[in-house]
Amino acid sequence: MNSLLTSAVAGLSAGGAYAILGVCAIFTYRLVAVVNFTGAAIGATGTFIMVALYESGVPLSLAVPVGILAGALAALAVGLVMATWFSGAAASTKAAVTAALLVGIIAVGLRLTGGQHPHNFPDLIPGSAFRLAGVEVTWAAVVTIAISVVFTFVTEQFLARTQTGLELRALSQRPMAAELIGIRVKLLALSVWAVMGAVTAFALMVIAPQRAPDFMSLSLLVVPALAAALIGAFASFRAALAGGMAIGIIEGLASGLDTFSQYRGAIPFLVILAVLMWSQRGARFDEAR
Amino acid sequence: MTELTIKQLVVARGGIPVVRGIDLTVRSGEISVVLGSNGAGKTTSLEGISGIIPAKGSILLDGEDISGQAAGIRARKGLRHVEQGRTVFPDMTTEENLKVALAPGASLEEAYGLFPELVQRRDIKSAMLSGGEQQMLVIARALVGRPKVILIDEMSSGLAPVIVSRLMEAVRKLADGGMAVLLVEQFANLALGVGNRAYVLRRGAVVYNGGCEALLKDPARLHHLYLGDVADSVAMHA
Repeated sequence: MNSLLTSAVAGLSAGGAYAILGVCAIFTYRLVAVVNFTGAAIGATGTFIMVALYESGVPLSLAVPVGILAGALAALAVGLVMATWFSGAAASTKAAVTAALLVGIIAVGLRLTGGQHPHNFPDLIPGSAFRLAGVEVTWAAVVTIAISVVFTFVTEQFLARTQTGLELRALSQRPMAAELIGIRVKLLALSVWAVMGAVTAFALMVIAPQRAPDFMSLSLLVVPALAAALIGAFASFRAALAGGMAIGIIEGLASGLDTFSQYRGAIPFLVILAVLMWSQRGARFDEAR
Repeated sequence: MTELTIKQLVVARGGIPVVRGIDLTVRSGEISVVLGSNGAGKTTSLEGISGIIPAKGSILLDGEDISGQAAGIRARKGLRHVEQGRTVFPDMTTEENLKVALAPGASLEEAYGLFPELVQRRDIKSAMLSGGEQQMLVIARALVGRPKVILIDEMSSGLAPVIVSRLMEAVRKLADGGMAVLLVEQFANLALGVGNRAYVLRRGAVVYNGGCEALLKDPARLHHLYLGDVADSVAMHA
């Protein structure tokens, strides 16, 4: 029992990262109506630029902001493509475009970062915060969870209480009607992309030392991110936050069980499958009746 | 004194010209009514003027040609388009729908003054409003943006006559307050009753440009303008 608790606590760090990425996925979906497959790859781009600078001797105090800026710029580039050519497209088309962009970003990223070549990821927030169930909970895990919680609540309050938040909600509900009342639709959409890119890049910088240090692995964090977003039905930031944490904890638990540990990578897919089946329960129940 | 002048407006859909070189003028304090049967090009004209779809020709707002500008820029310059279909922001309350469009110096009381019915519904999500209330909301939302010109498309669609009369009265108030209004409408008699100048479109061209009163007094002529050759043909066979 104690070992299970230990494994669960070990999954907190990953859970915090999944939560941030899931909340960012909902952020992009709710505000610019795009199911974004590129989120983690954009974060990975910023992270690897930070690492490249760090490896070439640039101090972290400069490399980190440049990496965050690079994440924001990469997201802006994707946002510009979506806002310029696909703003009126169906949701499925937009999702397909971001899936294609993900493949492109991974291909370029792997080429530029040397494929599986290991890199020296600096611990941005080193050290142990406290011990829980016999496990060291790192500051990185604490900060990751804190970022996801703060981002969730700040986003909710921003959307509910500010004029720009109102404009973003209007944009997400009826882009053309928003433009016709004078809202700067493209500027706002690009801002959403930039914020998403910056937050994702910073989150991945914090958790990268605990993950497989290659571009592909970081980019594929989009899978647990979308699983977390699905738990929130692509609408609820809080449910995605809880969902991301839960997926991380379940992964941690699975890694503590010999039978399941080798399959723990499949957990986000199982979560996606379970949520999709649950979402169809009404229709299936009606058919059965 | 605001004036919107449209010259030789051509708008196509799918490569086929739907509006074929029309001229329109809308002035402060006046309602210009655009009438015509289904498919005459009324909605397409408004969409071309507001920039939703590309158009050729000149669109002069107080002498400045805005025809090459995006819809959002035209809106910020004072051209507001109230689209067909009651395009409220459904997950936002009535008040939030108004606040999001509020121009500097404008107040929500202007909207509630025009439509007191909305005061009781200020905290209700706009998706839950009735069709008439939603139409009032989108007109009020355009109003609080303090536009110079307001384009209103088929506001009566699907609404009870008593609500339509109420909306017409409100639109007349907007014009009396100094706004220039371009009103596209199916209910010809009600629109002509509140309008100053009428344009009748048939197959994308203007076939009548004159006072509303003259047209209101001559229903046979209005009928002929709507149907053109078809009316002649029916008359011949009768």
